Amino acid sequence: MLPWIYGFNWNAGHIVFLGAFYAVLAALVATLAKAAIRSRRDLRAGQVEAIRWHSDFEGMPACDQVCRHVLTGEFRERQCPHAFDCRECETHAKLIECHPLPPVTEPEEDVFGMAFPLDRFYHRGHAWARPEKDGTVLVGLDELGARLLGQPDELRLPKPGDRVHANGAAFHARRRNAEVRVVSPIDGEVVETGSADRGWYLRVKPTSNDAKTFQHLLRGAEIKPWIQREMERLQLALTAEGAAPALADGGVPVSDIAAAYPAADWDAVCGEMFLEG
Amino acid sequence: MVSVDKEFITRGLRRSSTGRFLLWILPWAALLVFGLYCAGLCLVKGLNQTNMDNRFAFGLWIFLDLTVIALGAGAFFTGFLLYILKIDEMRSVINSAVVIGLVCYSGAVTALMVDVGQPLRSWFTFWYPNVHSMLTEVTFCISCYLTVLLIEYLPIVLRNRKLRDVPSFLVFEHELHKLVYVLAGVGTFLSFFHQGSLGGLYGVLRGRPFAFREGLAVWPTTFFLFILSAAAVGPSFILLTTWAVEKLSRKRLVRPAVFRRLARISGLLLAVYVLAKALDTLVWINRTSPGTGFQAWQYYSWQPFGTWILVAEIVLFGLLPALVMLTPRLRAHTGWLVSAAAMACCGVALNRFVMTVQTLALPTLSFDPYLSYFPSWQEIGTFLAVVAYGVLVYSFSFRYFNLFPEERELRLEAAAREEEEELALAGRY
Repeated sequence: MLPWIYGFNWNAGHIVFLGAFYAVLAALVATLAKAAIRSRRDLRAGQVEAIRWHSDFEGMPACDQVCRHVLTGEFRERQCPHAFDCRECETHAKLIECHPLPPVTEPEEDVFGMAFPLDRFYHRGHAWARPEKDGTVLVGLDELGARLLGQPDELRLPKPGDRVHANGAAFHARRRNAEVRVVSPIDGEVVETGSADRGWYLRVKPTSNDAKTFQHLLRGAEIKPWIQREMERLQLALTAEGAAPALADGGVPVSDIAAAYPAADWDAVCGEMFLEG
Repeated sequence: MVSVDKEFITRGLRRSSTGRFLLWILPWAALLVFGLYCAGLCLVKGLNQTNMDNRFAFGLWIFLDLTVIALGAGAFFTGFLLYILKIDEMRSVINSAVVIGLVCYSGAVTALMVDVGQPLRSWFTFWYPNVHSMLTEVTFCISCYLTVLLIEYLPIVLRNRKLRDVPSFLVFEHELHKLVYVLAGVGTFLSFFHQGSLGGLYGVLRGRPFAFREGLAVWPTTFFLFILSAAAVGPSFILLTTWAVEKLSRKRLVRPAVFRRLARISGLLLAVYVLAKALDTLVWINRTSPGTGFQAWQYYSWQPFGTWILVAEIVLFGLLPALVMLTPRLRAHTGWLVSAAAMACCGVALNRFVMTVQTLALPTLSFDPYLSYFPSWQEIGTFLAVVAYGVLVYSFSFRYFNLFPEERELRLEAAAREEEEELALAGRY
């Protein structure tokens, strides 16, 4: 219905009625247009990986979104408001200033028979980053991540020259029915690719080498409580997928967990453990 | 095909096998095809395929439209509760509410198109509207709100596991989701008016004293009663459908607290509605109806529409479920909760039936006969097509989209409980 159409009169009733509907239509068109314009801007700014990570994080159960300071017992309960990106977190900065982590005395942490070297930083999606002397950073899969994937059926690494983004995909692996994207712990440019045999998968030239580059990653004394919690999560994920894991009896995870649970929906277990929606 | 099907299912959610799903949708698809044939007959051959006539112009389809639009109010009301009033518990049912709303409104619009006929000329209603008709407002509001629901449904679809692999889909979904509060506001505005106008168009029928009501300014009381009743049963219908999906899929989808919250909101609004409806009925019995030359009891002398229908509508399907849903002890019991929600939904269906079928069946002049109407098989077929369409859209949405965001978390919690029990047992022996 438009003003020049049959039946329209310039009176208050018609104007209010029309005005309301034109306003509604304008609001709908403006909403769609705004979403489209913002999407175009995001795509051009290369925000896809960041958005994917935020989307994955939002989809995670609340119990998996806990702050790293809950792991170390500094908080009893706290949900991370920054999608595990502590670089933006004021609370983290204050806590680190007040309670700095104790210095590392051991070369590695042994948790449930798995070795976690303490010369590197760990992402909660089971990737690690180790700064090298030449200014590059090696990116690899931690021991639990490696045992979850075992011998991957397929590995897709980025090419040298490609860019990786912190919390974005570093590389992809496939094991059984599970398509896994392993998150990149840092921003940077891939300069070399490795393999499981070499102990790392990517050599990355980081975008910056300041203190903030690794601020969102776990280190030192945070590793043990984090892995203990990860083992609980794994046990739960396996139980939920009907894999009926053995009761906690002090045993250690086998080197190829996927092969040990052929009946489990490995896609779901990996999604849970590698923080993928 | 099986592996392709599985790739579209949200990671970590358990769904039936492809074969079982096909078996489930097959009868509904058959019903839909039969219904489409019936609707096609009505569209091609005309309304002579129905048992409606010039005197009985509103039948099964309008009853269906009014009922599903009232039940679909859960979509706008849940959105209003979540995005405007910030009741965060509603997050666990909002996606399902949007799908239900979409199914209800698109089903209603489809049935209306068959009823009105000449679908190729449907744009006439926008171009040559009768600006004096409440139906114009209804048409505008419903079309606009259906558009809102389609836009709200878009992020749910784009969040599908496979579709979000496409970067532009992922980004658009993310950005659209950020603006969803605008859609919730617009949806609330539109729903408020079209629910009201649907009621209002009965209340202004001076020639039908059974339905005619006085009111405020240009709005008869039925305008407000329809809004209130739709807002009251919307959450009940969400509760009922969620419970039914839980039973059918044998999965826990939402926390009991969400059920209780929905019931409390529904019960509160239902109590207000029952009070308003009772007052309206009293005013109608003592003032409006005698003023038009009829005593109210005369309307109930035509069987089967005795006073029992009034008692059933207000007390059995209004007051009783409201009391159940407002009593914490009863609300804590799933059986009571679901029964009360079902009764509330029946209540709104009965109210729409009374307003549509009973209103037209009653004579309005002394020489008028009492009219009776029973829908033809073509009408019933079209009605069933809308039901089948709703089941199919919901089934596909439930299978491929994450309608209940807490489903995975609840499964993990159940696993944790299971494990604790096992540990306790192991400790005992």
